[in-house]
Amino acid sequence: MSLLQEEREIILSNEYVDNFDFAEVEEFVKNASKELFISHHFKKKTKMLVQPRGGFPTYKKQFALNEFFVNANVDVLPLTIDSNTRLNDYATAKKMLRLSEENDVDMLNGYPLVNHGYRNTRKMITHFNKPVSLRHGTPDARLLIETAIASGIFEIEGGPITYLLPYSKNFPLDKAFLYWKYVEKICANYSRLNEPINRESFGPLTATLVPPAITITIQLLEMLLSLEEGVKSFSVSFSQTGSVNQDIVMGAVIRKLSAHYAKEIGCEDAKIHLVYHQWMGAFPTNKSFAEQLINMSTVIASMVGADKIITKTREEASGIPTKEANAATVANTQYTLGILNGLPRIVDEEEEEILTLEVHAIMEAVFNDPADTLWRKVFNSIKSGIIDVPFSPHIINHNEMITIRDAKKNIRIIKRGNVPIPDRCYEYEKAQCDLSKDTTSIVNDIIHDIGIMQ
Amino acid sequence: MKVVTGVVGNDIHVVANRLIELSLKARGFEVFNLGVNTYLEEFFDAVVETGAEVLLISSLNGEAEGWSREIKLLKSSYKGLDNLVMMIGGNLVVGSADAEEIVPKYKNYGFDLVFHQVDLNTGLDTLEEYLKQRGMR
Repeated sequence: MSLLQEEREIILSNEYVDNFDFAEVEEFVKNASKELFISHHFKKKTKMLVQPRGGFPTYKKQFALNEFFVNANVDVLPLTIDSNTRLNDYATAKKMLRLSEENDVDMLNGYPLVNHGYRNTRKMITHFNKPVSLRHGTPDARLLIETAIASGIFEIEGGPITYLLPYSKNFPLDKAFLYWKYVEKICANYSRLNEPINRESFGPLTATLVPPAITITIQLLEMLLSLEEGVKSFSVSFSQTGSVNQDIVMGAVIRKLSAHYAKEIGCEDAKIHLVYHQWMGAFPTNKSFAEQLINMSTVIASMVGADKIITKTREEASGIPTKEANAATVANTQYTLGILNGLPRIVDEEEEEILTLEVHAIMEAVFNDPADTLWRKVFNSIKSGIIDVPFSPHIINHNEMITIRDAKKNIRIIKRGNVPIPDRCYEYEKAQCDLSKDTTSIVNDIIHDIGIMQ
Repeated sequence: MKVVTGVVGNDIHVVANRLIELSLKARGFEVFNLGVNTYLEEFFDAVVETGAEVLLISSLNGEAEGWSREIKLLKSSYKGLDNLVMMIGGNLVVGSADAEEIVPKYKNYGFDLVFHQVDLNTGLDTLEEYLKQRGMR
């Protein structure tokens, strides 16, 4: 028996797992409907795919939510996992699920997939026969991903960097890399049986003034970590920055560089997709304004040329959205996409060149780390601040980089810390901003720049 | 002057914490930022370890109230913290309440300076003024 299979048997011999039948699951994936695979939809798509967010604790409520989405003409269904499961606390998730079922009050902020089990969840997923995307935030997602694929969920979001640096203070990053290596291997192995399982990275990160060069570098590194394990379908992503031009520049550069770096490691046969997140920062409390913001995000996603858009709702500022509000966004987004015709193509060569140089420089610094494997190189680079994510709560993150918006609301790096931004690019970034102010007014500007959509 | 700061409890809201660090540094303080998700013992341990004269605790989700009740007892178990300036700011209740009600409550918990939903720079201006009055700056 291979080491991986041995590890799988340990992971799946868990008191919360009801007898995982490896052979049956393999048979299921082999014969699963192509409609369940988002990679299949990407292949034949004629328009941007629309995917909302959402997860409820009970089977019944999740089923009802999916019905609403399907009636709103959804392309991809989400399954958002509760926070206890994300921390591998299946005992609490089990208790809260029971309370939710018995009292009709939601005691979890998502669907506890491991507790529901793959046999039940598969019934729901095959019933709707739509691709499902797993949304979580789990550093150790080994059991969760096994359960997801066995359920018919063939898109897995996340990654060792993007699911850790924005969400955790002290979960060990090296462990996260190893746990995600397992996930990549499982996805790669199942991909051989039918259409490929799609992996998606979480580009928004902290959604707080993250500069494009950092976002793209991390997207590329998670893509490489995934492709080197044999994944054949991968989505890079980012969220609305606040500047239309910067979004378009980012889209162009990330497309170009993802193809470039995939080829560098001999994985040009893998399909790389681009996902755009509607505004991920603080939303206006005025629900009509929120709808305008969402609509604008959809227009930008079209100009960026995204393959999939992930939506927000008019209730974003007030908590977990109702299924009605969630489905309404899906219908509205589909409508906007349907009437958006003849968008002009915008190219900003100077900005693209600056951003490309920045990403190449950071990537080169990562590759030059003397460690023997890519994940160790990336780990060391985060530790030494070559990769620095603004507003990450994690203790390993350097927090030396400072970013601010320029007059056109582009996110600019005004202090690079240890991130190897080339001098020419650094001077260019700073030249766009008014740096004559004292730190107190810059801090006030940053507070304003974070909340520009409110 | 040395300041220890951080967000108390299981609160992971990091944005203001970073801005507090930046602002304190801009005002010439030496900052030891423990970040989000910090327990009371860690704050006092850090004060002892660094010899800080100011402890600035922040809270966004309001769980500070639950933790603050234990401050006097915990602080008394450390030696030499009698002159420590204790400041707390942010959103100091779960739900909503008036500052008039909250400030005396927190002073009673052992804080010298209490800022409930007060602008960051106003809070730090007041801190500097207070340090001057006490002859520490």
